[in-house]
Amino acid sequence: MGVGNQQLDFAEFYRSAADECLRAVLVSVGDQDTARELVDEAFARAWASWRTVSRHPAPEAWVVRTALNAGISRWRRRRREVPVPDPARLANPPAVSGASARLVDPLIMAAVMRLPARQRQVIALRLILDLDTARTAEVLGIAPGTVMAHLGRAMAALRHDLEPELQQENRS
Amino acid sequence: MNDNELITMVRESVADVHTVTPVAQVISRGRAVRARRRIPGVAGTLAVAAGTALAVTTLLPSGHQGLLGSGHPGRHPASAQLAAWTVARQVNGDIDVTIHQLQDPAGLQRTLRADGLPVTVSFSGSPLSASCQPYDTGRDILSAVAHFHTSDGSAYLVINPSALPSGTGVSIFDEPGARVPLPSPHTPRHGQGSGSTAPAGITGPLAVALVYASQQCTG
Repeated sequence: MGVGNQQLDFAEFYRSAADECLRAVLVSVGDQDTARELVDEAFARAWASWRTVSRHPAPEAWVVRTALNAGISRWRRRRREVPVPDPARLANPPAVSGASARLVDPLIMAAVMRLPARQRQVIALRLILDLDTARTAEVLGIAPGTVMAHLGRAMAALRHDLEPELQQENRS
Repeated sequence: MNDNELITMVRESVADVHTVTPVAQVISRGRAVRARRRIPGVAGTLAVAAGTALAVTTLLPSGHQGLLGSGHPGRHPASAQLAAWTVARQVNGDIDVTIHQLQDPAGLQRTLRADGLPVTVSFSGSPLSASCQPYDTGRDILSAVAHFHTSDGSAYLVINPSALPSGTGVSIFDEPGARVPLPSPHTPRHGQGSGSTAPAGITGPLAVALVYASQQCTG
């Protein structure tokens, strides 16, 4: 495949998968700005390795996994900065803009963010990216049974969290 | 609320979120990633530069396990001291960790946990086991929990457990592969460790970060 065709192929993949990947990463990390940065970086890496990624059975899963790994790398870089307090750089991070915040349902997002990280990742891959249990297990490097257990616990916790609030909303 | 309703609700909660980055920008960034891969030396050089500039790293020789020494007088009775590291609980609740050699991480982890700190320690170059999940936080919180300084080839880490966000613990680990120039062999001040041994298997900078606390990860 020539470079021009590769670009068209990648652009088509980006158009079809980018939104879902972003939503999956958002559900996992909870912050829109962070999710956008991680997904942009993951897609850039996908393009850098497009010959390989394009043959991946689930390239969108590759992107999400890469984004989540990039998040861990970022965390690892950040921890190195602990002993170098730089007042200029310790300023409060920019607040999420109102328009950006309104893109997600805050009630549901808050409930999702109360889940443990692994359960959020399972929710992201199974429910948002719509991967099956086996692929989710492969992406996360855990057993399929563990995926099902995490999903079950996450669903139970979300139901427990959201039902009372939704009932209250309905009453008012 | 059945499962389908719940799944729909979760999906719809983020349905309005869309990417805004043009594909051309992604491709451009991808080209830069690809170009960077072709010059591996550049990444290595940057890592060394960062490690040096931040002045937060310490390179500790990997030698034999030191012998047991005596505890610091006047400190917490639970304080333990080895040639490789010492732990002391201060009256204000802070935990002082002095690391001379990257040895016996399990012992250090056990000692810190016995002092009530949810912690995972790894000197094997693998900062996160599968059971640990990173807790991404701002540096202000991280700085309140822990800070390093280095002196005479040893790392001094002060941990304030009361500053830990709820449900989190501490991860202490080394960062191998930074390839920072090695210091001269270090002789431990306590015990009779073999710090004068050539530092084969040298590890990289020592680091600390936060993780989600769990039985499997932080005890």
